[in-house]
Amino acid sequence: MVGILDPTGIGIDDGGFVTLTSVYDMVKTTESNETKRLLDVKPGEISALMVNVKPEYSRGDVATAIETQVSGVAVVTSKELMSSSVARQLEGLRPYMLLIGGGFWIIAILMIGALFSMVVNERRRELGLLQAMGATRAYIFRLVMLEAIQLTAIGGLCGMALGAAVIYVLKGTIEASLGIAYLWPSAGFIAVFSLGLLAMAVGTGILAALYPAIVASRLEPYQAIRTGE
Amino acid sequence: MIELKNITKTYSSGGGVINAVDNLSLKVSDGEFIAVVGHSGSGKTTMVSLMGGLTRPTTGNVLVGGVDIWTLDNKQLALLRSEKIGFCFQFSSLIPTLTCLDNVRLPASFAGGQKGGVDNAMSLLETVGVPDKAHAYPSELSGGQQRRVAIARALINEPGIILADEPTGDLDEYTEADIMNLFEQIHARGVTIVMVTHSRNLAARALRTLVMENGTLTEPSRTSS
Repeated sequence: MVGILDPTGIGIDDGGFVTLTSVYDMVKTTESNETKRLLDVKPGEISALMVNVKPEYSRGDVATAIETQVSGVAVVTSKELMSSSVARQLEGLRPYMLLIGGGFWIIAILMIGALFSMVVNERRRELGLLQAMGATRAYIFRLVMLEAIQLTAIGGLCGMALGAAVIYVLKGTIEASLGIAYLWPSAGFIAVFSLGLLAMAVGTGILAALYPAIVASRLEPYQAIRTGE
Repeated sequence: MIELKNITKTYSSGGGVINAVDNLSLKVSDGEFIAVVGHSGSGKTTMVSLMGGLTRPTTGNVLVGGVDIWTLDNKQLALLRSEKIGFCFQFSSLIPTLTCLDNVRLPASFAGGQKGGVDNAMSLLETVGVPDKAHAYPSELSGGQQRRVAIARALINEPGIILADEPTGDLDEYTEADIMNLFEQIHARGVTIVMVTHSRNLAARALRTLVMENGTLTEPSRTSS
């Protein structure tokens, strides 16, 4: 054995690949006539051909067409990666999921914004003192924004890690309940997707903290120090 | 020199308008040590805040070194606060998440950082008598120690003016005397000090005492240096 292929979610996941030389050696050494018959593939012959059907074609139609047009072959169709009914249901749910996701996103912006407004309010005295020591309005603005970026980046990373852990743990349940094969995406896809999610989390933080940061940068130092006491 | 020209500062309160400072004029010469006394709510803190550019007057002009500070843009005003003025506030004014050493160095970072070296900051902590607290956080310090660190911080950029608002407000009389000794040492170096206080005993140690009442100033006596 030279390696293990990534699972595909179809029947060949339980199969093995051997060279023809190995097959001939197996034929020579086996004592079973039935095995000899099954394994007896002459040089130049093929025993199976895998056909990858494009999503827009029906695999059943393709199988029927092959069986009627090519004599002496038996067509075996693989298990569905995702049943068409599940796919249809998920496709139908997509707009609602996007709507719910968008709603949660807006709520997240408002909640993070409210949180940062509270933080700015709690730290009025400190922000006023910084201005008294020579901090510019731009510095105060950057300070609040940088904190927002840091916090949302950490929150985003924690969320992704938690999400990945939940999917990992519930992988079997998802497969069983939806009747689909669950495949992990490639490392490259996961990296790009994670960076996208991180950027979205940070972008959410930036949007949410924008107003509190502007308010913080416009505080009058004297009032900020007095009211923060 | 600091000059307040016909300054009025009004606040809205309960549907009415309060004149915290009422048509006040004052000249503070370089190297003076002035104490401002008065009852709570008389406008003392508002007046020193006006001097330091922490609040904008409703009418009138504030001149520091001959420059009307409210003609400056925000960046220039921030630089003025950082380089020319050191503030000592009532109660603790240290940033709680920074060590004492970093608190002292902080104003220097706003002024370009040249004076914010560790050696300079340590030297100031030694001057105010708390070198052993350099790496402690403010919460680990007593009120008097915090006030000393705040004074060291006010001095980091070698400002010509120190504005102190009740710098000994909640301290015992021994610590209060120590802090006043520090101010006298600072004044001896030629630094202008304007100190707001409730205490007439402390005010007596200044060279000039002003009494603030209902937003206006009177000068009952002047001590010769």
